Amino acid sequence: MPPPASTAPLGVALVGCGAVARLYHAPALAALARAGTAEVRALVDPEPARVAELQVVFPAAARVERLSELSRLGIGLAIVASPPGFHAAQTRELLGAGLSVLCEKPLAPTMAEAESIVDAARTAKGIVAAGLFRRFFPATQTIRRLLAGGVIGDIRRFDCFEGGRFAWPVQSPGFFARSGLSGGVLLDIGVHLLDLLGWWWGEPLEVDYEDDAMGGVEANCRLRLTFPPGFVGEVRLSRDWALPNRYVIEGSRGWIAWEVNEADGLAVGFHGSDVALDARLHAERLANGLPSVGARAWSFTQSFTSQLANVVAAIGGSAPLAVPAEQALPSLALIERCYRRRRLMPMPWLGAEETRRAQVLGNPPASA
Amino acid sequence: MRVAVVGASGFIGNRTVEMLHLGGRAEVRPIVRRVAGMALSSRFALDCRLADACDGEALARAFEGCDVVVHAVSGDTQVILGTLAPTYRAARQAGVRRIVYLSTASVHGQAPVAGVDERTPLRDDQVIAYNNAKVRAERRLAELHREGGVELVILRPGIVHGPRSSWIGGFADALLEGEASLVDRGRGICNAIYVDNLVHAIDLAASAAVDGEVFLVADEEQVTWADVYRPVAHALGFALDDLPEAIVPDFSAPRPVDVLRRSRAGRVLVRMLPGPVRATLAAALGIRHDDPADDPWALPSRRRPTVTQEMALLYRCAHKLPFAKATRMLGYRPIVSFAEASKRTVAWLAFAGYRPSRPAAS
Repeated sequence: MPPPASTAPLGVALVGCGAVARLYHAPALAALARAGTAEVRALVDPEPARVAELQVVFPAAARVERLSELSRLGIGLAIVASPPGFHAAQTRELLGAGLSVLCEKPLAPTMAEAESIVDAARTAKGIVAAGLFRRFFPATQTIRRLLAGGVIGDIRRFDCFEGGRFAWPVQSPGFFARSGLSGGVLLDIGVHLLDLLGWWWGEPLEVDYEDDAMGGVEANCRLRLTFPPGFVGEVRLSRDWALPNRYVIEGSRGWIAWEVNEADGLAVGFHGSDVALDARLHAERLANGLPSVGARAWSFTQSFTSQLANVVAAIGGSAPLAVPAEQALPSLALIERCYRRRRLMPMPWLGAEETRRAQVLGNPPASA
Repeated sequence: MRVAVVGASGFIGNRTVEMLHLGGRAEVRPIVRRVAGMALSSRFALDCRLADACDGEALARAFEGCDVVVHAVSGDTQVILGTLAPTYRAARQAGVRRIVYLSTASVHGQAPVAGVDERTPLRDDQVIAYNNAKVRAERRLAELHREGGVELVILRPGIVHGPRSSWIGGFADALLEGEASLVDRGRGICNAIYVDNLVHAIDLAASAAVDGEVFLVADEEQVTWADVYRPVAHALGFALDDLPEAIVPDFSAPRPVDVLRRSRAGRVLVRMLPGPVRATLAAALGIRHDDPADDPWALPSRRRPTVTQEMALLYRCAHKLPFAKATRMLGYRPIVSFAEASKRTVAWLAFAGYRPSRPAAS
């Protein structure tokens, strides 16, 4: 739930005014502004046109060129939504200036940079939240409870398919440049997915990884993960072809299915039954002293707003921070592990000569 | 040879980039309209450029240093016609030697008659708007070619199949959605060309001494639609013979009432009316309430999809188009057999995440 309005709204700076800022953070911040809990006072981006676009939504916000100027504007929270390569340096600088930070995913393109953020937060005793907003979906929270409660029995396997033709309105070709170890679909989408799997089940015991990068960044990848006590599942991500966009977890008694980004819905089935449950989540309430359902649970967009509301509340001391930066480290460590051990995906439509060249381009000498 | 591929994010454009690059045939420069379109070509370390194919200045910058431009842009009539002059003039400005333009065998109609070849006059008053747009595109390109400065070769592929083809993926999706159907049990001839065979033709057309020529290109074998679809169905656990026969409406000279009757809007409109009015109007329009979704008492049953006129014509094609001219002048012979193409396509389905929805049918 949004925090209770404090005496004055929290001053917010948006650092990076690209697509994620425009399409996600701006409407969520506008909702918090209407609730009186936050106020956007500064916009930071090297591109004046992008700033001007957001100044239509936040007319009182100033264009700021240097992060060092933010503290004098009474800003308490900076949302770092710049390209991932800038996340670590910007977050460290903002922490040094005494600001709290919500850093978009991925926290950083490498573990070393991500750890430097966590270290800086500890040193500055500041708040750094990781932008892993799928944890705020009522559906992913419910799946976590169902799994912890053993509702579908012992987990036998899982399949997670996610992707489609890439259509995110990215503005810079640098988005597809290799950054850190890589920067393809695994780092982009996989960071959300692996965070959820880790949140549900902990650290995997084993990982096997392949992708289709041949000198560039991967558009497709496949992971085979083993989680304790030993169940195995497959993750398939793509920027290439529309996949089912569905996670299915099979247990000894039944199964759970979740359509990607369906914040308030999931399906549950039980072995031996001819029907399955297509569940729409609602808030719980008491009716006549008995448990009942209330209003619809948070939608996708409301879940995003609730992420910001949580950070604002945590800064105000009225709620614990739901996703502190250090919780983003395990999924990044796993991604780094994948890239280190990567091998080329078999692409069975390639001819013999193409396959030979793809192997050369796609399997550079192994790094340490 | 440095080759710019305009429309590199599309099905054919992407495979052209992939095959020329991995095959070592050319130094490839993918050109896409939006940054998001770089997703596939960014698998390679290539000099990918941004340019709208309607923007001559942007194209000229993107073409700099290229010998050949492959025009593989797909889109509506406006895109088909709006990209021609900017591409041709930008190529001339950049010193490009040749444009290879991807037209379509559909300039001869979806169901060409026997004897049709590259010499057959084209008509731009066909019932399918896409055909007319491509006919006009070829004529416009011929005009631009007469201005001079850049050589031009036009290829007319038929149904381009293979990995990432909408014919294949679309049919697979339709199977999984329970909406796949056949016309005449799939006996019609599919003027198919496997995408690798098309890219091979593009490669030949880029350098052969054939300026100003037009070529039909196709697979070696004569195949039916059932031949194309059966491996896909089998891979997903379906038996092609179990699919329903599609409803093929009477497309001859539709009356306004027929247009309303066939349209989704007309059906929705009728459903919204009060019961007695609905029954009267539905009877007058000939709308049958045979959709179980309309009947609260009916148990679910499989619906028979209705095909469009374009699909009905394609599915009833009775002749295979020749590619003798391409063989004679380009030296074109298909490099992948239909059987091998089907095998690779099915393997791609698994790569793309399609899984059998039930045990493979015999």
